[in-house]
Amino acid sequence: MFRHTPLRYGALVLLASAALFQAFTAEYFGLEILTEIVILAMLVIALDMVAGFGGMVSLCHGALLGVGAYGYAILSTKLGLTPVVAMAGAVAITGAVAWVIGAICARSHGIYFIMATLAFGQMGYSYVFEAPLFGGDDGLGGIARLDLSLIGLDLNDGRSFALFSLGVLAAIYGVAVLILRSGLGRSLSGVMHNEQRMRALGLTVWRVKADVFGLSGLISGLAGVMAAQHVMFVSPGLLSWTVSGEALVVVILGGLGTLVGPLLGAAVFVLLKHEVGALTSYWHLVVGILLIAVVMSRANGIFGWIEARFGARIERRAADAVRDIDPREVKTDA
Amino acid sequence: MSLDLGFWTLQALNALQLSMLLFLLSIGLTVIFGLMHFVNLAHGALYALGAYFAASAAAVGGYWAGFFLAPVAVAGVGVLLYSGLIQRMRKSGPMAQVLVTFGLIFALLDITRIVWGDLALGLEVPDLLAGRVALLGVEYPAYRLFIIALGLAIFGALAFVLSRTQIGAMIRAGVDNDAMAACLGINVERLFFIVFCVGCALAGLAGAVAAPLLSVTPDMGLQILIPTLIVIVIGGLGSLKGAIAGSLIFGFVQTFGAVLAPQLASVLIYALLAAVLVIRPVGLFPAKG
Repeated sequence: MFRHTPLRYGALVLLASAALFQAFTAEYFGLEILTEIVILAMLVIALDMVAGFGGMVSLCHGALLGVGAYGYAILSTKLGLTPVVAMAGAVAITGAVAWVIGAICARSHGIYFIMATLAFGQMGYSYVFEAPLFGGDDGLGGIARLDLSLIGLDLNDGRSFALFSLGVLAAIYGVAVLILRSGLGRSLSGVMHNEQRMRALGLTVWRVKADVFGLSGLISGLAGVMAAQHVMFVSPGLLSWTVSGEALVVVILGGLGTLVGPLLGAAVFVLLKHEVGALTSYWHLVVGILLIAVVMSRANGIFGWIEARFGARIERRAADAVRDIDPREVKTDA
Repeated sequence: MSLDLGFWTLQALNALQLSMLLFLLSIGLTVIFGLMHFVNLAHGALYALGAYFAASAAAVGGYWAGFFLAPVAVAGVGVLLYSGLIQRMRKSGPMAQVLVTFGLIFALLDITRIVWGDLALGLEVPDLLAGRVALLGVEYPAYRLFIIALGLAIFGALAFVLSRTQIGAMIRAGVDNDAMAACLGINVERLFFIVFCVGCALAGLAGAVAAPLLSVTPDMGLQILIPTLIVIVIGGLGSLKGAIAGSLIFGFVQTFGAVLAPQLASVLIYALLAAVLVIRPVGLFPAKG
């Protein structure tokens, strides 16, 4: 189950203050990068929920992001709905799609689960690529951003949009933590550690998996809506399996199953992409080698390594301080 | 749409040619997986490397130099990969293997771009196979017939090796139960190494024969990867029968889907894959019962 350690709180505070500092001081280019990081962070939180806490390594989250983005684009431009309604609609559609995918794939494990989700992602990609309704290869343009002039925010301004995205990310993080701490989240961890035992305890395993996958889909859909609003344009490339692969790379670089690590991973990944991309056009080579090195080192990503190195010490000190007051946490063998 | 017999013969030959190309790729991948439960996503990148080696060698020594050199060179790359990375990743879970080979895709993609540049390379069909052949009432390019024949020949050779020779029996034993095979004195690790090299060589061969049909670009490996994975998952991991059945299903569904229902063609194969995974989660002909 997910738990905030002092180290995780510290990392969150650091990341949030760095993001806020950037949001208030950066110029146009800096704000664009910040928004890109924030939107990627939303997607990797969704992916970490299913992969890190449910063992469901999904290669269709890029496609789910695309469903959210296209859903918003179609609902707002073709059907003429107001942005708020279109946002809610797109998120709901993505959640429903994800729930169905989760329910169908719940029986598969390991490599078969990866392949099955990949198949569904590619199915969406090729459909969007070919269907004339979605503009095919050309994509769809002219997507409006949310109108928040009621509370005095003009989202067409880069700074306001970056701050708004940060707010959305904070809300998503909070919701993800709540989900993982709820009964559903605990059941999911149980399923990941021992599916047989959870079934013997009377749990409907596929329902738990599908529900969490659906919730994760809602978050991916919201990330997609934000991505569509950010660039005001959607193209089939959003649904491509390499987007899902990159999201998975970010989760692994940051630290699977830590929820804070992927946020760090998103920041590192986007910054690396822009810094290395400015030096050489071969930044995939750098990412590839980095990924191989991280996986071969057997550390759980950057944040996992930090936790293994310093986490225990900090936690022990903190535990000494609160032991007499709060003996709430009971460790089990799971 | 023309409905005469010649049209359908032509489509069937096209489907068969696509199937054979996919078969060359998927057989290596599926036996590697079946024998050692190793997921090599970089198999497509090896195919792209094969095409590049073939194009480079063909520029010097003609098509046949590329045709024979590419498998050897790609097998050499396979040996490097095996001793550098894959041997160490054997005991890791599927997740770590998927990620390492995913990193390899990125790295190999950029290495091909550094060595050969971003522009597409072309490769001429050899003079011997340049013409067209009249077959069953249609004119069909000789080179595509050559691919079909090559695929069938390799299928026949592999079927013979796997079912009739000692090393084939050892491979089947290893796929069936690697721990028991090791107990019976089979060096499973060395067997895996050999199979891995043969798989890489076949991927290189597939790249070399595909090069004159498609243009040789850095992302050709990424494009072929998904069809190859679909083939092995539909067919079932680890078996020759699964690889050939999966390739034929993919080739025919893709080709006839494009003819009969162009709007649905690309979705059709993924829907089929999803259906197979739901009904038979381990594929149609898995090596293990």
